[in-house]
Amino acid sequence: MNIKLYGDWIIASCILMLTIFGLFFLYSASEGSFDIVLKQAVFVIIGFALFFSLAQIDPEHFRRLAYILLAGSFILMLITALFGPEINGAQRWIRVLGISFQSSELFKVSLPLSMATYLQYKKLPISMKDTFFCLFIIGISALTVAIQPDLGTSLLVALSGLFVLFLAGLSWSFIGITFGILIIASPFIWNNLLRPFQKERILTLFNPESDPFGSGWNIIQSRIAIGSGGISGKGYGEGSQTHFNFLPETQTDFIFAVAAEEFGFIGVVVILSLFLILSLRTLYFALNARDRFCRLVVGGLLLTFLFNLLVNISMVIGLIPVVGMPLPFISKGGSSMITLFILFGIIMSIGSHKTLMQR
Amino acid sequence: MQFEERQKERNSFSNRALVSFIIFTVLFIGVLGRIFYLQISTNQAYLTAAESNRTYTVPVQSLRGQIFDRNGNLLVGNQATYDLVTIPSQIQDLTIFLDQISKVLPLSDNAKQNYEKLFKSKATFNRELVLIKDLTDEQIASFQVRSFRFPGAFIGKRYRRISQFPELFSHAVGYTSRASANILNLPGIPSRNWKDAEYIYAPGLIEGQLGLEKIYNDSLSGSYGKKIFEIDAKGKLHNLVKVFQGSPGEDLHTSLDLAAQQAAHQSMNGKRGAVVAIHLPTGGLNVAYSSPTFSINEFANGIDQESFDSIIQDINKPLFNRALKGRYPPASSIKPAIALYGLNAGLTSWDRAINDPGFFVLPEDGRIYRGWREGGHGAVNLTKALVQSSNTYFFDLAYQSDINQLTAHLDGMGFGKALCLDCFDEDPGLLPTPGWKYAQYNRGWFTGDTVNMGVGQGYILATPVQLAFYASLLANKGAARLPHFGQNESDQLLAIKTSDINWSKLHKALELVVEGPSGTARRLSELKSFKVAAKTGTAELVSLDSKEAYAEIRSDVLQRDHAIIIAFGPMPNPEYAVSVVIENGESGGLVAGPVAIEVLKALIQK
Repeated sequence: MNIKLYGDWIIASCILMLTIFGLFFLYSASEGSFDIVLKQAVFVIIGFALFFSLAQIDPEHFRRLAYILLAGSFILMLITALFGPEINGAQRWIRVLGISFQSSELFKVSLPLSMATYLQYKKLPISMKDTFFCLFIIGISALTVAIQPDLGTSLLVALSGLFVLFLAGLSWSFIGITFGILIIASPFIWNNLLRPFQKERILTLFNPESDPFGSGWNIIQSRIAIGSGGISGKGYGEGSQTHFNFLPETQTDFIFAVAAEEFGFIGVVVILSLFLILSLRTLYFALNARDRFCRLVVGGLLLTFLFNLLVNISMVIGLIPVVGMPLPFISKGGSSMITLFILFGIIMSIGSHKTLMQR
Repeated sequence: MQFEERQKERNSFSNRALVSFIIFTVLFIGVLGRIFYLQISTNQAYLTAAESNRTYTVPVQSLRGQIFDRNGNLLVGNQATYDLVTIPSQIQDLTIFLDQISKVLPLSDNAKQNYEKLFKSKATFNRELVLIKDLTDEQIASFQVRSFRFPGAFIGKRYRRISQFPELFSHAVGYTSRASANILNLPGIPSRNWKDAEYIYAPGLIEGQLGLEKIYNDSLSGSYGKKIFEIDAKGKLHNLVKVFQGSPGEDLHTSLDLAAQQAAHQSMNGKRGAVVAIHLPTGGLNVAYSSPTFSINEFANGIDQESFDSIIQDINKPLFNRALKGRYPPASSIKPAIALYGLNAGLTSWDRAINDPGFFVLPEDGRIYRGWREGGHGAVNLTKALVQSSNTYFFDLAYQSDINQLTAHLDGMGFGKALCLDCFDEDPGLLPTPGWKYAQYNRGWFTGDTVNMGVGQGYILATPVQLAFYASLLANKGAARLPHFGQNESDQLLAIKTSDINWSKLHKALELVVEGPSGTARRLSELKSFKVAAKTGTAELVSLDSKEAYAEIRSDVLQRDHAIIIAFGPMPNPEYAVSVVIENGESGGLVAGPVAIEVLKALIQK
């Protein structure tokens, strides 16, 4: 019997290197805590197992499962809202078989798959009826996450659906009108929808020195950490911003600053190059996918991934307000890491299954 | 879907995916550019910022210079003392620690409470904390044998600023005390770090407050050293990274003379007044003594409230520096200056004699100005007028004077202005002029005012330093170096001109004040083995018409006359000039004179 293994060594090796770098950065950021690194390594290993397993599955199965997964996502959110423990004022976690995970993560998988499934046979341009139906689904998905509250994830969930809708051929006039309304409504949003702490985050971005020990602290210290790294960095474990606790959230959202401080511009270029190769390979898969469903899934996931990466790094270097969004494959965190492996498992499955499955 | 439509869909997808990807790529290039800007273009600024984040610079005071007299006697120095210093972060249980340490070294409840209050924050930030100050030898020994039980405590060396003669030089030398905010502007050390400055002196960071300690504070202080620690974001100190040694302060070698100052101290014996002596060749101040005095050791190292209050409330004002700031009428001691003016202006000569009936009548309004001797001195020439201190002669001389020329002459001899080159807060005294009087009292200058000035009364006021300088000017025959505390010649001098004959006759006359049979200070003659020239003065505080009236006010000590003498010697080649003022001492010759002689003896007969 001839067993064929599906997979792509470029994507796999990029992710492997990123996760190994991530473990190294984490070891430094956690002041040499083996426990933390070991726990993260376990997630990485589980992730790789899921990643390779999913690659063996024909994309057809993802399409068939899409709606079920979406329904499952909503049920999970309901369970979380009813039974999930409240941690720091937010209900985000659910505990199954002794494993805690963030229930909203499933939307990152189910929503783009469902959108692609729904849109795969629609004629161009997408009709108003379909557009609004999709926006409605995306809206309530994002909303259920947003009320947990978890703004960062809710944004990524919404975008994972919107990018699919856009790639499927959302009419340009609709896009234009929507942006026009957003711009006109922005003062209203600023005055009525944003909470004071969110406004403050945006304002301190432009003038962090106005409150250097309060809301400006993260931006200033992160900028100092990155800037002081120079070309080749201060050396592994030698970042004073990291190790004397000047830098916030070194293991999670701000781990990029740790890397930039200790490995300098060279380190930054290496990391960004790996992300670039990973993205180019994914783009190649998207452009050469076997059908529209596959194209939309891979394209949507790619754009969401790029957005996530851009937001994290821009936040760390002080270009955009502080938003809770991890650095893919590097930040500490089990749920988001596993989700990423699942998403790239789907991408690799689509990329390596060129011919249609026998029906 | 039709083939064409599929093709159209695929193209649309590809276009949108590519455009999106390119937009993201452009954004990422922007991000990379920003990182390049931070890490490469502005790297240095951020390195500095990270370094100043990471490090904490603590100033370390250097040992202060010591102060010596002109013979090398130590006047004020640094004395090592020992404190029990603790490192709270290394002490696990405060209660047990205090319990155990108090069995070794007894602790007052007050000390315990203070310590407990500061303990927690010092432990959090890993700073030192002193538990007991100024340990005795026995205390040190009893701690040291048990020190292994107290890993968080050690004996720390802290200096104290100590004078072996704590009351002798108080006003001249001044004292040190806790530094005020103005030293906290040292470059390279942020002002907030000063609270953590490392103490070398027990009272903390010290600076000169008065006198030489204040004037020469910069050179005495030397420069601050620095210790650089690593610090985390919470402000906790970690390891010591680097030490920059400061340079110790320079010693100050002054013109002061221990023996002469002691002579002044002893002969003043607590009476209110001042003694100033000047070394003629250099202008150096050998004695600058104000009485009564106070202990600078107490002021420098902590004084209890009770002692402080008693000093502040003392009606004799021990803190007041009479030598520099006391304003006294020069009285008859000004007569040599008036004589010189009269000679220079051609108003009198050594031969001219007038009759002294014991009073002078102002021709304008018939007002009477009295002399000190009932019945007067009879026929007096200038020498006799100086030796016996005839008021009438000088009333007459002043009456003839032009007030503007007279004040210009006195100005040239140092009256009415601060003279000392390195004294702290010297008073300029007062040399009245018609303009001054008009501005002050809105009244014109009367001839009577000029007449009063002829005997150093009225508005004119001089400080003991001015009187001593004036004496040195007379002693040096017209040119004297401005007073100062240095050992070298001061580079500024005041000079007046008159003929050599005038100078030698003036010296002769002033010598006769002491050495002559009828001189006002003739009783000083036997007190010493060398010859002295002098001029006495008795400053009236209340203007009275008769001896009887004075006898009446005499019951109030504070209304009695001030006793003044200026003197120089040894004659005929004087080396030192001295002034003595004793408040309410009544007689220049009898009360102030012996003090001047004791000081001159100490200076001349080393």
